[in-house]
Amino acid sequence: MANIQTPAAILAVLALAACEGTVQHPGFGPNGELPVIARPYDAGQDVIPLSGVTMPSIVYDPDGCQIWLIDDGVEAYSGRRLDPSSGLPVCNDQYPPGTVVGEYRVNEIPDSVPRNPFGPITGVLAE
Amino acid sequence: MFQGIRAFARGMLVSGGVALAAMSAPALAQDRPQAQALVDWGVWISPDGCMYWYADGGWEGFMEERVDPQTGLPVCLEVNTCLSENTDTLFDTDSARLTAHGRQRLQQFFAGAGAFSYAIYGHTDSRASDEYNIDLSNRRAQAVYQVAVSTGAVVDRVIGFGERRPIATNDSAAGMQQNRRVEVICYRW
Repeated sequence: MANIQTPAAILAVLALAACEGTVQHPGFGPNGELPVIARPYDAGQDVIPLSGVTMPSIVYDPDGCQIWLIDDGVEAYSGRRLDPSSGLPVCNDQYPPGTVVGEYRVNEIPDSVPRNPFGPITGVLAE
Repeated sequence: MFQGIRAFARGMLVSGGVALAAMSAPALAQDRPQAQALVDWGVWISPDGCMYWYADGGWEGFMEERVDPQTGLPVCLEVNTCLSENTDTLFDTDSARLTAHGRQRLQQFFAGAGAFSYAIYGHTDSRASDEYNIDLSNRRAQAVYQVAVSTGAVVDRVIGFGERRPIATNDSAAGMQQNRRVEVICYRW
């Protein structure tokens, strides 16, 4: 998955992933078994997607509290950072709300950020 | 180890579902929503050692903190306490004034810990009233906080829990001694 730069290459990879890796929603099984809609495996690869992510990035929420952020390409994961002793959220004013600290991408699949037609932005939209 | 946790996670899913089905018997069958799908959860461990349930849905991902159903507290493999110091060595009995040795010990700790930020929690044993112990542990945590900021440390939270979060029995002198402590949690990246 390294060094994918052009949209055509991305689409090709995604198409491949769709063919080989993802399974169409199977519906109920013959005996009424429920369809599994999400699993802890990466599509197209027989790997556990987050097992290698030992140091994800942090994003500050609007209240100044920290959230773990992992951008795994097509999908992303986030979860609130909680103090392992008190269970309370980890919050401070060391960075403005919305700031991402640390490397958030675990691969080089680029994302497109939706443009907000209703208001200005203070950052630069990532292409 | 990771596979072991995943197997455990699947076990949780199944046994949790069985328990839920046994407990909830609705008066009217149509009140109960139809099960539509299954999510096969895996576990991700944060740098703090805390567990997060997650699953890859193909085009989307799901993740949520794992919490203890009884207490709501996060479930963590190892508590990232980078200092748990017995308060007998830091303070005199019933006092929130640091001893010279205690101050030096804390200064050395904060100078070398190197975390991005910290939380400081004070705890007591169960002697004296709950209210008194909350106040004493608060004042002791504040004393540790003053040392921390004097070394340039960023402190996110200072709390005195009093006797409410024991880590050992209060029925023995040895247990009470373990409970009299100041915890410093290091938030590292």
